[in-house]
Amino acid sequence: MNQVYVYAKGQTIDGYARLHYYSWQILRQFFGVTTISQRVVEAYVGEYASGKSECAVNRAVELACQGRQVTLVDLDIVEPCYTLRPIQDELRAAGVDVIAWETRRTMGLGEAGTLLKPQARWALHRSGDVIFDVGYGVAGARTLNLVEGAAQDPDLVVLAVINASRPMTASVEDIVEHVRSLGRVDGLINNTHLAEETTPEVVQEGARLVAAAARILGLPVVATTALAEVAAVIGPRDAMGHPVRPIKRYMPRAFW
Amino acid sequence: MREVDNLADEPLTGEKRVFMTGNEVVAWAALAAQADIMYGYPITPQNEVMHYWTRLAPKYNKGFLQTEDELSAGFTTIGGVMAGKKAFTATAGPGNILMQEPVAMAEAMRLPVVVVIMQRGGPSTGTVIYSQQEVMLTAFGGNGEGLRVVYSTATHQELFDYTIKAFNTAWRYRFPTFVLADGYQGKMREPLTIYNPVERGLELVPPEPYVGRPGTPGVDRPPGHFRNTYNVEEELNEVLRGHIADWERVAEEIAEHEALGTEDAKLVVVAHGVVARAAKEAVQELRAEGLPVGYFRPITLRPLPSAALLAVARQAEKLLVVESAYGQFGRLLREALYGLTVEMVPLYKPGVGVTPEEVVARCREIV
Repeated sequence: MNQVYVYAKGQTIDGYARLHYYSWQILRQFFGVTTISQRVVEAYVGEYASGKSECAVNRAVELACQGRQVTLVDLDIVEPCYTLRPIQDELRAAGVDVIAWETRRTMGLGEAGTLLKPQARWALHRSGDVIFDVGYGVAGARTLNLVEGAAQDPDLVVLAVINASRPMTASVEDIVEHVRSLGRVDGLINNTHLAEETTPEVVQEGARLVAAAARILGLPVVATTALAEVAAVIGPRDAMGHPVRPIKRYMPRAFW
Repeated sequence: MREVDNLADEPLTGEKRVFMTGNEVVAWAALAAQADIMYGYPITPQNEVMHYWTRLAPKYNKGFLQTEDELSAGFTTIGGVMAGKKAFTATAGPGNILMQEPVAMAEAMRLPVVVVIMQRGGPSTGTVIYSQQEVMLTAFGGNGEGLRVVYSTATHQELFDYTIKAFNTAWRYRFPTFVLADGYQGKMREPLTIYNPVERGLELVPPEPYVGRPGTPGVDRPPGHFRNTYNVEEELNEVLRGHIADWERVAEEIAEHEALGTEDAKLVVVAHGVVARAAKEAVQELRAEGLPVGYFRPITLRPLPSAALLAVARQAEKLLVVESAYGQFGRLLREALYGLTVEMVPLYKPGVGVTPEEVVARCREIV
């Protein structure tokens, strides 16, 4: 089952002219071209509470629902096992293979040092899609270096998740500065929201800011994420032409 | 979305709906309250208070000093205050224990230090995550009489509002002031409105130096005798009687609470902090079904809103006391309600969260 969406509408000439900057992976993402034979390997990085885990979890479930083999890796070594802890079983039931610490198998985490789960180190050697939920900030992004083969993996795309409702990333300049601090970033995700108070306007305003920052950074905006009911109002593309990914909130059940 | 601007002296202009973690809220609130400097030592789950303050501080010409431990963080906060700075610190768990010595000194010398606590599990290192087990420690942890103000917040909006208020309370009444939250509040994220309190017409009580003031001591102004040491019992007793009289005079003015449906309730659910959210939700659900259940929440744990609590307890048949600890909050209530025959039913869950469903279920068993 090959799914090929040929992209035509909504894209500006400006966006088209920038395409030579993008790796083939990004091109694939940007054009929404997906084939079942190709691996999806994505790492979600970004600011604390920007929505990395939510984006990563939703992406993993989305891919699993398409019948794909997916591994979701919790790569947060500062607060491991806390973030995905309460929803691991639910994700496994949805067909996602989860690599994350189980609380009872660990001791003193967060106080006694940091620990990378061995399976996480070798996750890129697995077949199928691999989604990394990476720890926050620049230190979090560096964790990716601990994964064997990360520097060479031809499929890996590092995506910075931006919520412009967060004061630290509320302006174009701040977003640019923040993304530049993260090291390797291949694309941006506009995840602007106000939780249950999110309106389409909030998301669209975020799309404009993230698009402006992306232009300065020379990066594509891979997607805009929005709660399913908000996404339905916005439609398949946001005001800036970015594809809209409807998401479900899993993380409120994960206290941290 | 540009209302939050980078102007050095006006960090916050306009009002803005934002999405943040609780720790981050505290840093922004301190900025909004025109705090000058934070002193601190890292401990989970309050680390991001420091992280965000240190990201904001250079932009707005604010200070930060990382000390070697919480004893030092507390004493340097005292130093900042004595120099006339709006100074604060934040800690948790074992750090809160160490913080008690400097806070007791601040209590002795009537110094307006502001301390933010993100409770974690105990005793000892416990967990880094959550509890409500630092109630007694925060309210009475010093080797004194507990003459300090403790605000127990429940929402991110309150974390913002009460962190600003804590600076005002501390500088107005000159008692050490705590904002008592917890690891869930510190780490969870929800929308809130951040604002510039001055633009809202709120007065920010200005700080003033204790030491190094102009004039000759004893000639132009009274000498500044800021003491935590006395030679004899009577001398200490006289000073303490003055402090206690001040405390009793302002306690009712400082005390705050929130209540819902207590007028006709036979059973009143009493909770504080983040647990109060579960209690309130449960009570709203039960009242919608017509059950005579009410909700009472002290916002200040020190001083406790005793008058309001007594009125509620006199009217109700039973109180369901809900907390993520083994009766610490319950102990505060019992002391305030001594002599009343109202039955106190416990729902104590030390170190873990409480859901509205659990409160609803327990209420149904009781009513």
